[in-house]
Amino acid sequence: MTLVQKRNPTTSLRKPTNSKLMERLDDIASPLIALLILLAIWQLLASIPGLTTLPTPVRVVQETWMPLIAYPFYDRGGTDKGLFWQVMSSLQRVAIGYSLAAVVGISLGILVGMNKRVSKSLDPIFQILRTVPPLAWVPIALAALQQNQPAALFVIFITAIWPILINTAVGVQQIPSDYNNVAKVLQLPKSEYFFKILFPAALPYIFTGLRISIGLAWLAIIAAEIVMSGIVGIGFFIWNAYQNSQISEIILALVYIGLVGWLLDKMMERLQTLILPSSQR
Amino acid sequence: MTHFVTVENVEKVFPLTNGDTYIALKGIDLNIEKGEFISLIGHSGCGKSTLLNMIAGLDLPTAGVVMLENEEVLKPGPDRMVVFQNYSLLPWMSVRQNIELAVKNVLGHLPAAERSEIVEHHIDMVGLRHAADKPPDQLSGGMKQRVAIARAFAIKPKLLLLDEPFGALDALTRGNLQEKLMEICEENHVTTVMVTHDVDEAILLSDRVVMLTNGPESKIGQILDIDIPRPRKRMEVISHPNYYSYRSEIIYFLNQQKQIKKLRARKTAAVARHGLEKINLEIGFVPLVACAPLAIAKEKGFFAHHGLDDVHLVRESSWRGIQDGIVGGYLDAAQMPSGMPVWMTVGGMDGKSIPIVSALTLTRNGNAITLDKRFYDQGVHTLNDLKRMLLETADKQHIFGVVHPASMHNLLLRYWLAAGGIDPDRDISITTLPPAQMVANLKAGSIDGYCVGEPWNIRAAVEGIGYTIATDLEIWNGHPGKVLGVREDWANAYPNTHVALVKALLEACRYCTDEANHEEIREILSRGEYLSSELEFIQLGDPNNRVCDLRPSPKEYAHHQFYGHGVNRPSRTEHLWMMTQMARWGDIPFPRNWVEILERVSKVNVFSIAARELGLSDLTYSRGAIQLFDGVNFSADDPIAYLNSLKIKHDIYMAEVAIEKPLARTA
Repeated sequence: MTLVQKRNPTTSLRKPTNSKLMERLDDIASPLIALLILLAIWQLLASIPGLTTLPTPVRVVQETWMPLIAYPFYDRGGTDKGLFWQVMSSLQRVAIGYSLAAVVGISLGILVGMNKRVSKSLDPIFQILRTVPPLAWVPIALAALQQNQPAALFVIFITAIWPILINTAVGVQQIPSDYNNVAKVLQLPKSEYFFKILFPAALPYIFTGLRISIGLAWLAIIAAEIVMSGIVGIGFFIWNAYQNSQISEIILALVYIGLVGWLLDKMMERLQTLILPSSQR
Repeated sequence: MTHFVTVENVEKVFPLTNGDTYIALKGIDLNIEKGEFISLIGHSGCGKSTLLNMIAGLDLPTAGVVMLENEEVLKPGPDRMVVFQNYSLLPWMSVRQNIELAVKNVLGHLPAAERSEIVEHHIDMVGLRHAADKPPDQLSGGMKQRVAIARAFAIKPKLLLLDEPFGALDALTRGNLQEKLMEICEENHVTTVMVTHDVDEAILLSDRVVMLTNGPESKIGQILDIDIPRPRKRMEVISHPNYYSYRSEIIYFLNQQKQIKKLRARKTAAVARHGLEKINLEIGFVPLVACAPLAIAKEKGFFAHHGLDDVHLVRESSWRGIQDGIVGGYLDAAQMPSGMPVWMTVGGMDGKSIPIVSALTLTRNGNAITLDKRFYDQGVHTLNDLKRMLLETADKQHIFGVVHPASMHNLLLRYWLAAGGIDPDRDISITTLPPAQMVANLKAGSIDGYCVGEPWNIRAAVEGIGYTIATDLEIWNGHPGKVLGVREDWANAYPNTHVALVKALLEACRYCTDEANHEEIREILSRGEYLSSELEFIQLGDPNNRVCDLRPSPKEYAHHQFYGHGVNRPSRTEHLWMMTQMARWGDIPFPRNWVEILERVSKVNVFSIAARELGLSDLTYSRGAIQLFDGVNFSADDPIAYLNSLKIKHDIYMAEVAIEKPLARTA
């Protein structure tokens, strides 16, 4: 009987709101703490003389504070621009190349998925080309298109298109036969079938392809810009910094690249949540 | 005459990955009338869904043709709407939108207002008004299937096809949906074909049940007409008198299919040994006390003693199983009701004539007529009392159970009733049931009485459900009960084996007669593989007042007679009497060549050989004329005059029954 009294009756009422807050705090605090620990390790290792030429985090911030971190929007002409503009430039190229890849990828994917013969003929070619890394496309792109900007766009395009295309094709092929049977029995016209059954059924697969591709596209642009000199872009910024032995700037750029990449994926995820019905996610 | 749907000689062959082919269906012929509800039933993998898909047009037959209203079915269409087992609702659309999709595409010629009215009407029809805007993932299985049904009905198809529509649902939901479906089908007079696994569902919903045999090369095994009036209520239909016989029929069919599959797997080639052509025998029996000789022959080693080393006793639940086993060749021999050899030879099985011969009578007596306890309370103690009671309650239909039209029980019951002036088919109705179901049916009140062998009469008396109004001794003392039956071609192919079989069983019969062995025999019979019954229900021949508690003075009965003078010898006179009785009730035509048939059926020479080899030659003694309880004597001289002299009978028709010349069967 005495055991029962040990329980504090009021805590059970307070629990609901408390626990959610606690959970949120926990979600933020845990990675933060891990990050701080990692930074501390880095600081420690880089401080040991003779071990490495990598600057410590403290030094990175010190060196890049002016003007890069403090003034992201500065513009002194040419390629000497703030990091915001550099990132924007790269993103622009991604946007164009990726959109093109999405349009072509989805259309071609649907065609390939619907037609057995086309699928049989083209699938081996796709599988081979898919494995070529973005960097390997750069020389060919430059040689064929001569100019940097179109070449960059091409590299993004050719990298991003494969996941979209292949996933769309699979999505179309994987439409449950039940839905196809319904369409057959109701004798749905092609257009109705396309918009009411095929496209919605393949949408989850298409979105998977799109999400994979956005990551790849961002990867590709960095690589492409490194090789193409003299353009505004975060990739070239890194290369330039390397030539000038400004390691801290490289590290900063890396952090920015990572953050942007993460943001892009989150954006895609939000889009997916908005468009797909809950049953298909 | 043109039918609504015709399936003509349809065949479906599937190519396999290794180059072989699998013939799923072969020779399917089916006609469906407008407004009919047909169920397709069969084991898994027998091709029911394949057949349904071909009727729908989702699949095409490799041979044969499917026609709807005289037009060949070449592709699927909304006039043959399908309700799938997996609902097939589009998950990105709400309930209403799913139905709208169908209505818009099929009934596009109607104005939009009318179309939306149809959609709403059907949503209400299945009771989903409250969920009309929900997407499928927020609905339960039953609700989803209701949407599928609404969608199907909304487009007013000519033919509705359901592929195990309620298979994935729980029992309660299933029941509700079955009723809903029945309601809708009746209102709209839609022709429906449904594939199902559920026997009760098939009986509840259909007009006809089509049973498919097992694959490969499945065909239609049997079509059962369900003659229960509509509208049918789920809870009431089970008390319809024919319900359980329909149910048994379908389950029997499915069990047979399973057995056939097993037997196909097991090769049964004849093994010759000890100078006998076949020592591995499958002998059929039905769990009755009368099967004692067979059980004893096996358990006490009589079979082995005469060289039959590998005898396997096959227990069938009904005489139908015995019949099918003998015809199909799965059984070498069987214990049969005494009238069955003649019945099968003359064509009692739907006109098919299978010559059966009998060389041994295994038991005599052991039958009784049991009535429902309430008749006793009403004072029905004799045949005249029964007649009086039937006249008084002429409006009520009384039903009696028998095990088989060729069984002695059926013939004795009819004879007994007719002698009392009651027409067995007009004044009452007689239905066929397996022995084990007699007591259950009497208890449930679906039959008023039955005539069957022991232990079912004692059982009813002990359990207080019924009482015995007459035993065999009062109708025909010493009537043949069960005989040994084999196919004529089998007997010709394995003559030595036949003689050995008769010898073994004759010795077993002699063992059964000895009272000293009765305890042992009762114990053996009560075992699971034989009667699987309580010991107290099994009585062999001891005078006991359980059965006849009406008799003021206990008589001495020799209940089951297994052995003795004149007991085991097959008697032509008796077979002739049974032939006349079966012809009397229209089961068989009375053959003009009855002498020839009796010669062939009654294999007295085999019996004589067996008896002589056992040193029992004093058994070969003929019984002579038969004396029945009403004083009418029957002799083999003039059966036709006898038939004409009977007052109550059906139209007797004579025919020359042609039987194939006996050929030796190739082993």
